[in-house]
Amino acid sequence: MMMEINYLDWNNAIEILNKAYETGLFALIIGPKGTGKTTLVRKFASKTKKELYSVNFSLRTRESHLIGSKTLDKGDVSFVEGILVKSMRDGSLLYLDELNAAEPDVLLRLDEALDDRRQLILKEAEGQIINASNSWFVIATINPLSHVGTKELPPQLLSRFPVRVRLDYPPEDVELEIIKQHATIDNSKTNDVKDAIKLARSLREAAAVEELYYSPSLRETIAFAKLLNKDLAPKEAAEIVFANAYDQWGEVEYRKVMDMITSIFGN
Amino acid sequence: MILRNDVLLDIATFLARRWSRNPKAVIVLTQDKIPMGKPDKNQIVLPFLNYYPGTDFQKYRQWRVALWYESMRLLHSTKVLSYDHAFGFLLNTVETKRIELLGLRQWNGMRNELIFNEGMSWLSRPLLNSIHGRHKISEAFSQYFLTGYLKGELYGGEFERVKKASEFANNIVVESIDNSYKTEWIEQHISQLIKILELDPLSSIPIIAPRTRIGMSLSQSDVLKQLEKLVTMKHNYKDDKKALKEIVEGNEILSEFESLVKESKKTENKGYESLENFGLSIPQKMDVDETSIYDIDLIQKVKASFRNWKTGWIERHGDMGEEFDPESYAESLPKTFLIDYKLSIKTKVVILLDHSSSIEDVELEYKRATIALCEALHYLGIKFAVFAFSTDERRVKCWVIKPANIKWSVISARRLVQIKASGGTPLAEIYGLLQPMIKSFKPDIMVTLTDGEPSDFDSVRQMVLLYRKMGIHMVSIGVGRNLSDSVSIGHNLIYLNYEKTMAVSRLQDIPKKVINLLRA
Repeated sequence: MMMEINYLDWNNAIEILNKAYETGLFALIIGPKGTGKTTLVRKFASKTKKELYSVNFSLRTRESHLIGSKTLDKGDVSFVEGILVKSMRDGSLLYLDELNAAEPDVLLRLDEALDDRRQLILKEAEGQIINASNSWFVIATINPLSHVGTKELPPQLLSRFPVRVRLDYPPEDVELEIIKQHATIDNSKTNDVKDAIKLARSLREAAAVEELYYSPSLRETIAFAKLLNKDLAPKEAAEIVFANAYDQWGEVEYRKVMDMITSIFGN
Repeated sequence: MILRNDVLLDIATFLARRWSRNPKAVIVLTQDKIPMGKPDKNQIVLPFLNYYPGTDFQKYRQWRVALWYESMRLLHSTKVLSYDHAFGFLLNTVETKRIELLGLRQWNGMRNELIFNEGMSWLSRPLLNSIHGRHKISEAFSQYFLTGYLKGELYGGEFERVKKASEFANNIVVESIDNSYKTEWIEQHISQLIKILELDPLSSIPIIAPRTRIGMSLSQSDVLKQLEKLVTMKHNYKDDKKALKEIVEGNEILSEFESLVKESKKTENKGYESLENFGLSIPQKMDVDETSIYDIDLIQKVKASFRNWKTGWIERHGDMGEEFDPESYAESLPKTFLIDYKLSIKTKVVILLDHSSSIEDVELEYKRATIALCEALHYLGIKFAVFAFSTDERRVKCWVIKPANIKWSVISARRLVQIKASGGTPLAEIYGLLQPMIKSFKPDIMVTLTDGEPSDFDSVRQMVLLYRKMGIHMVSIGVGRNLSDSVSIGHNLIYLNYEKTMAVSRLQDIPKKVINLLRA
């Protein structure tokens, strides 16, 4: 039984992806971490009833993971297809997560498959030509350059995704609704959750101008709500979820965030 | 002072920008001036800590509350008039209440600190009996409207006028909040307030003497007793001893204060009494606006170029040969063929900036490039020091922009922005002045950015050689107006014994060129 995917489509992203799919134009979702990019793609896959093949490039994905490799099976050498090849043959939805963390050799092979011919030549398997099925569709995500470990996506690869969807942090009221989908919020605690959202927004604004080195995502605000449900005091929950992460950059950074927390939650 | 001004400035800038949601907010610290927000200039003027009475921690708490109020003023007010005439005084006072109420909606955790501040500032408020003249009633209104009580006595119908004016002012504040009206709407009602108080709008309000002179005769225990009395009277905390104790002791803020004290103990001087003894100068003005030399785009671009280094190492894959057959290669070798090089930056850098008159016409761009470089070095966690030289009042000055053991902050940017490009290029003298600092810091690389010919070639050659003998890689970057100019400058610099000489005609290339030097 397919699990119901909870996704609040606050900026019409699903409709844009639908249109992209109907016109056969691959899509790129751009946004900071923790804004729901993967959930959006999973929701889209579930709505279109397409099988989803995912690759996350921040995990040092190699070319062989995408294309495939030779293997010895009962004395015979055979070729085991990688995820890219399988997805092209099956016409499924290929999800390329954090594409701009990929290595140059990997991007080169992808570029080959993503151009208008939708074709891949397997030099690994005697030059076999793989043609993508008509229903093959690709969605990629990238984090903005402020994310550690990311590089700029080369222009030719960027051009393979003519439909671009921005998925930034949602407005505060929307963020509250998203949190409610993941954690039950008691009426008496709604104001505390709203305060946590305001705190997250302040920290994100500081990170955007690099006054702080880390930007909290929706995961943090959801974690805060869950900790509140376990009867942790709001200020303590905020310290655990938001402030402690900054300690790795030193006492002063940590204290700046604690100061913000104190100004919001007091005692 | 237990807290250094640059440390205060750093935390104040951060908090003000977060509280006011204004990323351009600039803090100016100045002696004995009342705190004031200037929304039109994105500026907050704050006094030094010694403006406030009490212990160091109590001073800090009051200073921090003043910062919060003025940050709320930047956020919610569109106009701040001078306090020295009745109209301005009254408008600012009514606005203070309005912004406080609006501010507490978001920053509810400030409540205790506001109560503490009210208690402490009460001690500094003048006794009404001691004020003579028309402005007595303005002070009485301010006290009654903002706190609900008076310090001293009023005579005749004065109290009635003050009470009526306060009711009127409270109503307009509530109405403005309910309808999201701004400062201009409040301003329209000040004339009515003036009428109720029977004041002349232009009657002058003398500035109250600095608060340190008031309340100083009370001992700490008297101060605390007074504070408890006021807090209990106003906020009905008498049944909640714990809450009262929290307000008085301020433990919420104590950890933050202690970390700032620790930060302040890091000294620039490494035991030297004064850098001036070594002929080095420190630009002193703190009320300068450094935002003109911050080119955010350039800073982001430079950081993006070197983002790989932020993790501490970059990967280089080794790859040799033309045809590569993975099968046979994997069969022949038992181990993996991936080679990852870990290259970390442990370099210590000194940067010396030429501020002779020849850079005058490109001064702003030059400074922006320098800021971008320093922001990137700070971002990469590289230890660095920055100096500059110019001629000031016919004297050669070597300026300390950023000492080695103090972290990069807006203070260093403010030092840079106030140096005026002037004079010649006395490089040898400057190297001589820096020698003790350099010997102590022991940098791996010293980068000199210059656009001219030094005054004495031979002396410079000798000094560069001396530094090289200390194990310092001496690099010069010739900065020219165009390609041929920079190449010609570069050629001249080659003869000065530098290990490496580069030329740059686009100032925006300076940051990347310098950082690339640091790669092993």
